[in-house]
Amino acid sequence: MSAPLIPPARLDIEGVSLRAGETALVRDISLQVAPGQMMGLLGPNGAGKSSLLRAVYRMSRPETGRVLVNGEDVWKRPAAWVARHVGAVLQDMPADFPLTVRDVVAMGRSAHKALLEPDLPHDAALIGAALALQRLETLQDRPFRTLSGGERQRVLLARALVQQPQVLVLDEPTNHLDLRHQIALLQFLKDSGITVIAALHDLNLAAMYCDRLCLMDRGRLAAEGPPEEVLTAERIRAVYGIEPLIARHPGNGSVWVLPG
Amino acid sequence: MTDRPDSVAERAALLAILRREPPPRGRGRTFPGLPPAAEGGVARGRFLLVTGAIVVLLLAVALAGLMVGSVRIPAGEALRIVGHWLTGGALGTPDWRPAYEIIIVQTRIPRVILAAVVGAGLGVSGMVIQAIVRNPLAGPSILGVSSGAATGAVVVMRFGLVVLGAFTLHVAAFLGGLAALTLVFWIARTGGQMTPTRLVLAGVAMGAVLGALTSLLVLTSPDPQLAARVLFWTLGGFGSAQWKLLPVPVIALALGLCVMLAQARRLNLLMAGDESAVALGLDVERFRRSMFLLTAALTGITVAVSGVIGFVGLIMPHIVRLLVGADHRRALPAVALAGATFTIAADLVARSIIAPLELPVGIVTALVGGPFFIWLLRRDARALGVAR
Repeated sequence: MSAPLIPPARLDIEGVSLRAGETALVRDISLQVAPGQMMGLLGPNGAGKSSLLRAVYRMSRPETGRVLVNGEDVWKRPAAWVARHVGAVLQDMPADFPLTVRDVVAMGRSAHKALLEPDLPHDAALIGAALALQRLETLQDRPFRTLSGGERQRVLLARALVQQPQVLVLDEPTNHLDLRHQIALLQFLKDSGITVIAALHDLNLAAMYCDRLCLMDRGRLAAEGPPEEVLTAERIRAVYGIEPLIARHPGNGSVWVLPG
Repeated sequence: MTDRPDSVAERAALLAILRREPPPRGRGRTFPGLPPAAEGGVARGRFLLVTGAIVVLLLAVALAGLMVGSVRIPAGEALRIVGHWLTGGALGTPDWRPAYEIIIVQTRIPRVILAAVVGAGLGVSGMVIQAIVRNPLAGPSILGVSSGAATGAVVVMRFGLVVLGAFTLHVAAFLGGLAALTLVFWIARTGGQMTPTRLVLAGVAMGAVLGALTSLLVLTSPDPQLAARVLFWTLGGFGSAQWKLLPVPVIALALGLCVMLAQARRLNLLMAGDESAVALGLDVERFRRSMFLLTAALTGITVAVSGVIGFVGLIMPHIVRLLVGADHRRALPAVALAGATFTIAADLVARSIIAPLELPVGIVTALVGGPFFIWLLRRDARALGVAR
C-alpha cells in the first residue's frame, strides 16, 4: 500500500568556475555527493559557498564546468525540471506582498503542475505534511513578512520539501536559528535520506552531522573528505587565519575545533 | 518544542509522506491512507464572499450608470429596456419613451461597458506589473506607456492629422504607447538583465522625457484651445464611448485575462523574488519579458480608448490583496471585477457632479486614489517599521 520512496540523486559538480564581472567567485571546483549523503560546505565569508550553490539550483550559469544531477546537466534541462529534482532553501525571501505562510509553501508545487492544473488533494497533503513537519500549522495563515528570521527559514525549508527534491541545497540554513533549532534542522537533514549540500558556518556542528565536508578558500577547493581529514589545524590556520586547537567531542568522538 | 518520543515517530511519518513517489497522474490523484488535509478553506470562503459582494456592487453601479445622466431614467424602465434589448425584443413590451431606449442602448450601455473594460484592464495590468517589478507601489503608468500614449495623441491633435478617420486619435495613442514601451524595454535590457529596478527607472525616465515633449508640443502650438483639449484627453474619460469602439478593448481584455489567469501560478513565483522564482522552476527572464509585453499592450489599448486614468491600476490591486490575499489565482479575477466597479462608479461621479458638464474621470480617480495611496503608505510604514 505504501508507495516507494523517491530515491535521492547523485550530485556531481565538475570543474565549475563562476565569475561576476572581473571577479572570480568560484575557481574550478569539482565535488561529488553520493545519493543520500550530506555534504557540508565550509569556508570564510566570501569563499564562494553561496555562489557555488547558485550554480546547483540553476541561478548562476557556470563559466566553465557542469553541474550534474543523476548525470543530467542542469543547464541543459528546463528550469522546471531542475526544480522538480533540486530544492533550494535560500537565506531569505523578499516579502513585499502579503503572502501567507501557506501561499509561500504552496509555491513549491509549481514546477510539478501542468498549465491550469488546480491544487489537488495530493498537493494539499504534501503542503500539510511539510507545514506539520516544520511545526508551522499554527502560522499557516500568518503573512510571511510578519515572521521572525528563524520562522522564515523553516517556511523556506517546508517550501523546498514540497518540491519533493532528490537533492536539497541549503545556503546557511542555520544562521537565524537558536542552538536547539540548529541541531534539530541538521539532524532532520541527516535523517531525511535526501542528498544534501549545505553551506554552514559552524565547523563543529558541520563535523558532527555531515558525512563529508568541503572547505573552500577564496573560490578554490582547499580540502574535501570526511570531517576528521578536512578539519586539521594546519588547514584551518591557512584558511581562516586563526590558531586552532583540534580536539574530539567527548560524547561522540567527532572533530572539535576550538580557538587556540 | 522538545521532541517527545511519539513526535519522533510522527515526524518520520510526515517525512515519509513528503518523500513518497507521487501516485499516477489523474483527477483522483491522492495518497492512500492519508486524511484529507485542510485545503486553505478559509481563503476560499473569503474569496467567494468578497467576489460575490463585488459582483453585487458591480451590478448596482452598472444599473446606476444606465439611469444617471442628462436625462434621468428610472431604474424599472432602465431594467426593462435592457431586458428587451438583450433578448432581441422578446421580453417586455416597449411602453417607454422611444428616446429612453435610444439613450440607453446607443449611449449608456456602451459607456458602462467601456468603463468596465478599462477599469478591469487597468486593474489586472496594475496587479501583474506590480508582480513583474516586484513593487506593490508600481502601476501601469510606470512602464511609460501612458506618457507615450499621451504624446501620440498630442501629436495628432497638434498637427491635425487624420489618417484613419474617427479612430486616428486612438491609433496614435496606442502607437505612442507602444513606441515608449519598446524604448523602456530596450533601455532596461541594455548591458545586462532586465531587473525590476532597471525597468522602473527606465519607465520613470521615459515618462519625464515624453512629458516634456508633450508640453513642448502644446506650448508651441498656434491653437490656443489645444492645451485644454490635451488636458481633457490626458485626464481620461468615457465620453467617446460608442459601440464601434468596443470590440478591440473587449477582445484584448478577454485574451489578456485568460493568459494571465493561466500564468497565475508563475506570477505568484515572481512575488517571491528572482532567486526564489528560479529555484522554484521559473525561467524568470523570459517570463518577465512576456508578461511585460502583455500588460503593456493591454495598458496601451485602454489608454488609447479612454485617456490616462490614474490610480485604478495602483490602488485596486492593493485593496483586492487586502481582501482576498496575494495569490493571483484569486486576486486576478477579483481585481478585474473591482477595477470595473470602481471605474464605472468614478464615471458616474464624473458625469453627475457638475451635470450637464462632465469632469474628466481621471480627476475623480485621482481625488479618491491619491489620499487612499497616502493612507496606504503611512499604514505600511507603521505596520512594517522604519527598516523597510
